[in-house]
Amino acid sequence: MKELKILLVIVVLVLIGYWGIEPLAHSIMHKEIEEAIEKYKLPDFEFSDLPEPAVRTGDPAKGKEATKMFCTSCHGIKVEGIKPPMDPKTAAASFGVVPPDLSNIAAVIDEKFMINFLKDPQKATENPKFAMPPLGLNDQQAADITAYLKGIAKKDMSPKEKTVEACVRCHSIKYQKIYAETPEENLKKYLGKVPPDLSIIYKAKGEEYLHAFINRPSKILHGTSMPRLGIDEKSQHDIVKYLDEISDPHKEQRKKVGLIVLAYMLVMVGLTYAWKRKIWKNIH
Amino acid sequence: MAKKGGLMKWLDERLAISELWRVMMSEYYLPKNINFLWSFGVLTMLVFVILVVTGIILLMYYKPDSKLAFDSVNKTIMMDVSYGWVFRHTHAVGASIMFLVLFIHMARGIYYGSYKAPREVVWVTGFILFVLMSATAFTGYLLPWGQMSYWAAQTITTLFEKIPFIGPDLVIWIRGNYIVEDATLTRFFALHVTLLPALILVFTVIHMYAVRIVGSNNEDGIPMTKEEKKKNGIPFWPVFMSKEFFVMSVFLLFFFYLVFFNYGFAMDPINFQPANYLQTPPHIYPEWYFLAFYEVLRGFFFSETLGLIAFVASMFLPLFLPWLDRSPIVSGKHRPLFRIMFWIFIIDFVFLTILGKLPPTGLFAWLGFIGAIVYFIFFFSLPIISFIEKKQVASGGGQQ
Repeated sequence: MKELKILLVIVVLVLIGYWGIEPLAHSIMHKEIEEAIEKYKLPDFEFSDLPEPAVRTGDPAKGKEATKMFCTSCHGIKVEGIKPPMDPKTAAASFGVVPPDLSNIAAVIDEKFMINFLKDPQKATENPKFAMPPLGLNDQQAADITAYLKGIAKKDMSPKEKTVEACVRCHSIKYQKIYAETPEENLKKYLGKVPPDLSIIYKAKGEEYLHAFINRPSKILHGTSMPRLGIDEKSQHDIVKYLDEISDPHKEQRKKVGLIVLAYMLVMVGLTYAWKRKIWKNIH
Repeated sequence: MAKKGGLMKWLDERLAISELWRVMMSEYYLPKNINFLWSFGVLTMLVFVILVVTGIILLMYYKPDSKLAFDSVNKTIMMDVSYGWVFRHTHAVGASIMFLVLFIHMARGIYYGSYKAPREVVWVTGFILFVLMSATAFTGYLLPWGQMSYWAAQTITTLFEKIPFIGPDLVIWIRGNYIVEDATLTRFFALHVTLLPALILVFTVIHMYAVRIVGSNNEDGIPMTKEEKKKNGIPFWPVFMSKEFFVMSVFLLFFFYLVFFNYGFAMDPINFQPANYLQTPPHIYPEWYFLAFYEVLRGFFFSETLGLIAFVASMFLPLFLPWLDRSPIVSGKHRPLFRIMFWIFIIDFVFLTILGKLPPTGLFAWLGFIGAIVYFIFFFSLPIISFIEKKQVASGGGQQ
């Protein structure tokens, strides 16, 4: 009985300490982030700060013409046989970042965001240094181009493909042998630093932060050079899930082995207790 | 060891192993009035063995080079080596839990007055083991070369700058560079895997030897001669150890639960970002077991020098317990005044630990200051309590 009381005191003190250094400390240290998440209701997949486009439904055929006119002087579209006008190195040197191939870009980007983005990239991305200039498109053209790009984009992209499509212009995922399309020295000039590698970013940042940050970078990390990319809800979930899986590839194994070890220790508790009882039977 | 076969007899004639077994185990007697807190000494040894075994496995894959260290830990060990993650988790959680076990072991020693005559050497060697363990933990924490590794090492080594005259040079000498860099990593690695564990081993032997000479204390702090213990006590083997194995099993159940299902407290998220000397993380804090001492340092927020002195004092004051507390009454069980101060001290320690991780601003700064003062009040109350108790004993009051 007395020993159980001592154990209880220890358990209570340890739990109070644990509560203090983990949940309490983290909630206080992450207060600003929590507040931003609360204030902007992140992740906001409606992109409610952007205006509803005047024209939402575009004509893909017209969009194709508009795309050729406005986009292909910088971007390639592989599936349509349109090569980029510059090799990646030259492009990165001239623009700061390699302009993405447009074949599948619409597969990961929200429609509303994309129309807004085409009209005013800096405003939509909330990044004044964003490399693509405003092109002076009207509402109809922006909707047409969006409809066209949505039409040609692959429909069933895997989480990994989506991650590469959305992130690998700037980020590497080196544990997966995936390297950023834009060379590091250009990124440093364009963004001020080499963006973090994504191999185990999930462990460093956690699910909630990643969802909020990808959705609206500048509201979570002031002055960040990461632009808002307007990833749609399904794609963002796929991407974060993929980042989770690659950061912790042994999750299943850990659970399985953990249960076996705990079961073994439980048996040991029983056996050692029995032996202790036997030895102590005659001692008083 | 009752039977003596051929080999046993042969060894016994040359090494006197049955005599050794008798002295160390089967005829080493402990008092009966002890509780399971007396099992924590052997638990520290168990955790130490776990750390050494997992450490050796990690050593086979770890690369002590600032360009390779982070990936060798987070990729090679955590992803590629089969079951490498088990060893890393066990090592990280083991280091953390070592301090929990040590703190309980030390608190038991303080409560029951186990540092008093004739056990001063036991206490002092134990304290040295605590310092060595802290140094091992601190050097080891740099090795994964993550952001928190780096900035914790950077912050703590900067503290040495304040030492008069030699400070700035000393910092460079410790780091091997003007900032924490590759040279720091390799020297911390060398100390972590060779000198420090070797010293821990040496002092463990002395610590145990000293305990074998003076014997364990007991709940009531009653001194017992060897004969009394033989008559009324229990032998270390098999009686004490049969209980110890049970305590160990319960402990390991808890330990492996942490290793597999709740390891976050021992592996800070920020440390999964590689060290970057150009980017300071918004919050820098040491591992939880240094937080109380760290908070004493920050508690004197108005004076860096004072904070530093307090920090050093907070770590080394426990060493002087046998001389601060000269009361003839040994165990806290029979010392009401001491008991009040003890529990204030324990609560204050938990309080400081919690505060140590919070940002030191506004109210938290002042709470830290109060916590730091209370920490010292415990130590300085001891001579006063001793004085009062000495008088009581002299006048026939108080029990022994």
